[in-house]
Amino acid sequence: MRQFFPVEDLARDERFVQTNMAERMKDVRAPRARSSENGNRVSAKSRAASARLTPDRHDASDAARSLMHGIMVGEIQALEGAGRTAHDFPTGDGTNDTIPFELKLDMARQAWDEARHVEISVKLSDWMGTELGQFAENTVLFQAACSNDPVLRLAGVNRALEGLAIDVFTQMKEFGDIAGDPYLEFCEDWMLADEVTHVKMGSDWLRKVTEKDPERRAKALEFQQVVDKLFSFGGSRSDSDESPIGLARRFRELAGFTDEEVDDIAQMGYDALEERKAAVKLAQAAAGAVAV
Amino acid sequence: MSEQTIAPKVSVAPEQFTFVKYDAAEIVEVVSDLAAKIGLANPIRVVVDETTPLAAMSSTIDGSSSDALITIHVESGALEDTKNFTNFNRHHAEISLGRMLLRAHDRLRPDFDAAPDDDALSLQEEAAWNTYVNGRLERLGVESNRQRWRYNFRNRFGFSDAADARFDELWNATDLSWSDLAAP
Repeated sequence: MRQFFPVEDLARDERFVQTNMAERMKDVRAPRARSSENGNRVSAKSRAASARLTPDRHDASDAARSLMHGIMVGEIQALEGAGRTAHDFPTGDGTNDTIPFELKLDMARQAWDEARHVEISVKLSDWMGTELGQFAENTVLFQAACSNDPVLRLAGVNRALEGLAIDVFTQMKEFGDIAGDPYLEFCEDWMLADEVTHVKMGSDWLRKVTEKDPERRAKALEFQQVVDKLFSFGGSRSDSDESPIGLARRFRELAGFTDEEVDDIAQMGYDALEERKAAVKLAQAAAGAVAV
Repeated sequence: MSEQTIAPKVSVAPEQFTFVKYDAAEIVEVVSDLAAKIGLANPIRVVVDETTPLAAMSSTIDGSSSDALITIHVESGALEDTKNFTNFNRHHAEISLGRMLLRAHDRLRPDFDAAPDDDALSLQEEAAWNTYVNGRLERLGVESNRQRWRYNFRNRFGFSDAADARFDELWNATDLSWSDLAAP
């Protein structure tokens, strides 16, 4: 069976259209409705107290549907990524691009979990009135699972990507709870429990495999930061109320993140939010945009 | 709805788009077609805020006569192809603009005088009105995912059989007044 599968070759039917971070970054529109501070009209949607994805937002249902679709395609890619990691590397002691057999077993277990999550997410999407492939599929998640070094995959996928999943599922679980949606709240809670386990597996194996190789560990953590920064694009995830997704600090702690690591991610999200706001302001000034 | 052929005067701002790949002429065409289906002869101005990908919309009417100007404010996300960001999607635009036009059509009726301005609608009022207009839009040939609107309705009125029954009632209704619509 083929090893090291490029993102371009992922199997999808005609309903799915793929995009990537480079494409997303070309879109210079402001991610949030502007406040009246710069003299622009405050839209109906911006009347909610914050940008956080909660049911009191005017666009709450559509925003939740869009995020749920993102979760669904993320689960497909997480399944593909965990499956690849279980298969791509020979069994060994963790050196020379080998991985311990027990790590393969954990990846196989994760693939099984992700497959179940895909099924749950498809049903939730249907429940929320979303068609499969209705939104573009960002392939950034699988791209993080394409490294030739299995330790970088653990850092990029299990710690960064699955860490984001902890934040997203916590937000969606809360959304379902407040809205009184029994299925959403229940399903997100169950998937969240799995995600905490996946991150913990990544944290544990990363430490174990790089125990005697601090340089490799540093490189992996650096890669995790790069991926975390990508996932924080536009400040979509941070402690700020201006971000739709908050940081689930308690669950991250349970998954093996130190307080310092969570603080770093929070700062990254905040910086990304400010960067995005500045970039949007610049682009709009350059285009001579006049808000209506 | 009126069966007569009408040709409302439609304008779109901006005429040229910078942030998105939209064509003002295509938006004029969509709005003109929808207005004809609905039976709206009023002049219509569509103002697109292309600087945000969000999808909020609102409309105002400067009077209650058939020549009163209807102004629709729409954020670019409401007309966008969700599979190909920054590109226009005709069907999505029909659903969004059709909703605004039907609401404007309702507002021209005397029994909608008590309806709050769009920006002052409560979440529940907006969900009820959206259900009512989307049901009518579907019967005019603009198909929308009914489950999407049911989910929206449930988020505002609760996940219960009673809320679902009310949703079906509004979706299938044809001639409601504001007090019918706003009734609990």
